[in-house]
Amino acid sequence: MNQAVSVTEVPLPSRSRLAVTTLAALAVAVVILMTIVLPAEYGIDPLGSGEALGLTAMSRPIAVEPIPLPAGGDALKPTPNGPINLYGAPFKVDAVEFVLGPYDYVEYKYQLQEGAQMQFAWKATRPVIHDFHGEVGADPTQVKSFDKSNRQEAIGALTAPFAGIHGWYWENPGAESVTVTLKSSGFYSGALEFRSDKTRKTHELSVP
Amino acid sequence: MTAARQAQLGVVIGLAMAFWTIVSTPVAAHGVSSKDALFLLSLNGPAIIPLMYLGAKHMVTGYDHLLFLIGVIFYLYRLKDILLYVSLFTVGHSITLLGGALGGIRVDPYLIDAVIGLSIVYKGFENIGGFRRLLGFQPNPRAAVLVFGLFHGFGLATKLQQFNLSPNGLVENIVSFNVGVEIGQLLALTAVLIGLTYWRARPGYLQHAYVTNAALMTAGFVFAGYQLAGFAIGE
Repeated sequence: MNQAVSVTEVPLPSRSRLAVTTLAALAVAVVILMTIVLPAEYGIDPLGSGEALGLTAMSRPIAVEPIPLPAGGDALKPTPNGPINLYGAPFKVDAVEFVLGPYDYVEYKYQLQEGAQMQFAWKATRPVIHDFHGEVGADPTQVKSFDKSNRQEAIGALTAPFAGIHGWYWENPGAESVTVTLKSSGFYSGALEFRSDKTRKTHELSVP
Repeated sequence: MTAARQAQLGVVIGLAMAFWTIVSTPVAAHGVSSKDALFLLSLNGPAIIPLMYLGAKHMVTGYDHLLFLIGVIFYLYRLKDILLYVSLFTVGHSITLLGGALGGIRVDPYLIDAVIGLSIVYKGFENIGGFRRLLGFQPNPRAAVLVFGLFHGFGLATKLQQFNLSPNGLVENIVSFNVGVEIGQLLALTAVLIGLTYWRARPGYLQHAYVTNAALMTAGFVFAGYQLAGFAIGE
């Protein structure tokens, strides 16, 4: 082992050597900063070396090219992507309540594209006559029933088998009023309410 | 070994050190890794062992603190001296780490890190006899280590403050982090000492010492410049 040399015994450099050393250290540092560190860290590339060495790519945010959403009215038509259905517009949520007088009925339906999904939960204060169905292209003559059982409540999900309005017919079978409450979320574009007095009403749906 | 061969070796070692600084810059980036950051943000209550681990990890992987320590112990041979200097450094950075993080003293992390970079330059300059040549005397190295220790502690505090740690368990967590820093420092110091001792036993250590400390200055300038640029562009 060498004999211990304390810092005060180190041979002193000449003033000029000290100056050259310090300036060289600074100069090398500036070169390293300009050519490597600043391009890599901040994308500052005064000499173009960062681009040449591929270092500026490190300081760029990771490029995420979003695939544009399907435009126009087809925005709510699903695009299958493996097990996923992609949509061009956000799903909506809805909550409605209907009071049915004695023997009264109401129909409430959502506009869905083919393959679009909707989840629902409805409940009535007493059992009701019920028909969950769809109308092809909103044509009342082309109706397809999905579930025609009498129920007091139902929780489920629908994948629309065709484009059109899809929803429920609820009929109060008794002499006392029934309240039906429905909550749903889905890729639907609008909702329609049909009452027994032949009135027709569109519902505002909200984006969650 | 000829003088030319030794000079070559010195340059290679110096360049390797500078290169190490550069390659570790984007990796360690002297912050807290994103996984650890998520952990810190999620904390709500004392997490003594994890914070100790993070403190130790920060020290072992924080090349700025390591480079400074290399500079500090470069000409220290006796265990007594090493313990004295390292204790001064520890006292210094513990005061500001605890005071800064608990007292909520906020300092710009870039400026603090730039000063830490310059502390490496200072130590390298001191080791090549710069102050004795320039000023005719050696500024008290113990005082310098203590003062720079204060700055390093502020640097550690700013790292923790970036995460707005929950007040729940704050004291325990910061003290744990500080304890971890000391453990990490001990581990890093052991590794540095083993390397330096091995190197000292070889011929030509003193010849390479000059180049090594010049390289230390370079690394310090690079680190300071990197931080000052970050401050300037406000990233």
